[in-house]
Amino acid sequence: MSSAAQAVPEFLHKVAFLQDLDDQTLSILAPLLVTKTIKSGAVIFRELDVSDALYIVAQGGVIVSKHVSGDVDVVLTRFYPGDFFGEMGLFDAAPRSATAHAESDTVLWQLGRDAFERILSDHPAMAARICYRLVTVFIQRLRATNEQAREAIRWGLEATGYSPDETPATFGRKST
Amino acid sequence: MAEPAKLELLTRRPGESGFELHEVQSSQAYGGFRPQRAPHEEWSLTPQPRGPDGSQNVVLKALKRDRFLLLNQKEYFLWEHFDGHHSLSEIGRTFHFEFGAFDYGVIRQFLAKLYHAGLLAEIQAASLRPSLARRHERWWARFLAAIFTTWERIAFRLTDADRYCATLYERGGFVFFRWPFVLSYATILLCAIVAVSRLWPDAPAITARLAARPLLGSGILLVTIVLASMLHVLVHALACKAHGRKVREMGFFLLQGIKPTFYADVTDIFMSSRRARVMVDLAGPMVEVVGGSLAFIGAYGSQPGVGQSLLFGAGIVLWESALLNLYPFSFLEMDGYNILADLLAMPTLRQQALALFPTLGRRSRDGKPLQRTEWIQIGYLALCLVSVLAYIIAHLDAIGVELSVWRAVR
Repeated sequence: MSSAAQAVPEFLHKVAFLQDLDDQTLSILAPLLVTKTIKSGAVIFRELDVSDALYIVAQGGVIVSKHVSGDVDVVLTRFYPGDFFGEMGLFDAAPRSATAHAESDTVLWQLGRDAFERILSDHPAMAARICYRLVTVFIQRLRATNEQAREAIRWGLEATGYSPDETPATFGRKST
Repeated sequence: MAEPAKLELLTRRPGESGFELHEVQSSQAYGGFRPQRAPHEEWSLTPQPRGPDGSQNVVLKALKRDRFLLLNQKEYFLWEHFDGHHSLSEIGRTFHFEFGAFDYGVIRQFLAKLYHAGLLAEIQAASLRPSLARRHERWWARFLAAIFTTWERIAFRLTDADRYCATLYERGGFVFFRWPFVLSYATILLCAIVAVSRLWPDAPAITARLAARPLLGSGILLVTIVLASMLHVLVHALACKAHGRKVREMGFFLLQGIKPTFYADVTDIFMSSRRARVMVDLAGPMVEVVGGSLAFIGAYGSQPGVGQSLLFGAGIVLWESALLNLYPFSFLEMDGYNILADLLAMPTLRQQALALFPTLGRRSRDGKPLQRTEWIQIGYLALCLVSVLAYIIAHLDAIGVELSVWRAVR
């Protein structure tokens, strides 16, 4: 684990929620990020773990899944360099809603809630720009979640025999 | 057709650091699905009389949703195996051994029926289904569908009809089904036959008086038909109560999407005997028979004039209506058809016949012999076709006469 301050500026411009920040502002943020290296297959955090940080993918890939039953999870999404995840942990202390796994050897930058709260209090203009971008991403992810829910429901219906093309024949007697 | 839906699953084995990813398509999962029928207290089964080919259908009633399904032998077999322990793959194999062939379409269709009736444990996603059913009709199909939808909105229904019918039956309705009343209907009919035979020589003059006042005549006859139709379905409903069964609903709809008509849903009578069903079917047309008979008797007792002509016209219209109702070969599921279907123990005769028709060419090319039930279905279709054509030809003639009368009046 080490500070990512020296490597930051160029790469951070590609991170969606930092797009509105200039170099000067990013240089304030960069020292607050902590680098983490994760081996392929390892768990970054688990569902129901304490939620206290956001992660930016610097290298490798991350799979986010949700537990279904036994040792089976359903894959929700994947993240690659420039993407970020775990953003709920910045705002809310509720347990993690999903599990994150390293798909390959992965390098992450962690932004802890304490650091984010410092930005909120010390640099409100910068925090506002970050929050605006985060909300935009939340909305996109919410839309993607709706699509996933629709696909999961379609899967359930098809896997249990329902076909939208077949209208069930009804039986009855209407005396006329 | 859309690709099957898929889910990506991640699994970890105990003691191992890595994970595995699997993509599971809905079609794969389908084979492993173990359908489970609803608990026993939520449904009841009533075997039906054997059909001409020895097959026996079963009526399955969903008690919670008050829906009925007619199960053929194959569907009954599936129903028996939907115990939550057998996967669809296993059921498919057993089905093949039992019936010699297997098509997953049979299961899909049956599962859809069961979902619809609320007879499967688990999934309750009915409200989502319509949004998932994406249709891509052509513009003219959408246009036609819009017209039909608008037309169908005319329909209405009374869902607590059973309560009203029960009250009506208990407060006097029952007397219409007692023997003295039934004998009086026969007496009235005999008197009407005598009246018609006496009036028949003057029939041209009587109908000419009616034709001379076409608006009055048409109006009164239309009202007669509507009132008789309402009374007709009410008597069906009371007959259903007379056999201790429930009237699911009453209302107004388009019979087979064509004929605007009142109806009483007496499906619950399938939980009773075949004789009871036939009696319920016969009860309705008795309204037209008795009503028409009374009109003829009234016409016989009246002085020649407009009143006599109206009564005579009402008698003809009501008797014709009874005849049409009792005639089974019209492509419409009216009382005569229901009686025929009950007597043949083929409750879905019309649907089966219409489904068979498009396959006849292929069947003929394949040299596959027709079975007895299929011959009956073909016979039904042929008689329907001949009857409808004959009816149209006969009425074209009547329309011609009507037009000439109109011209003469003007």
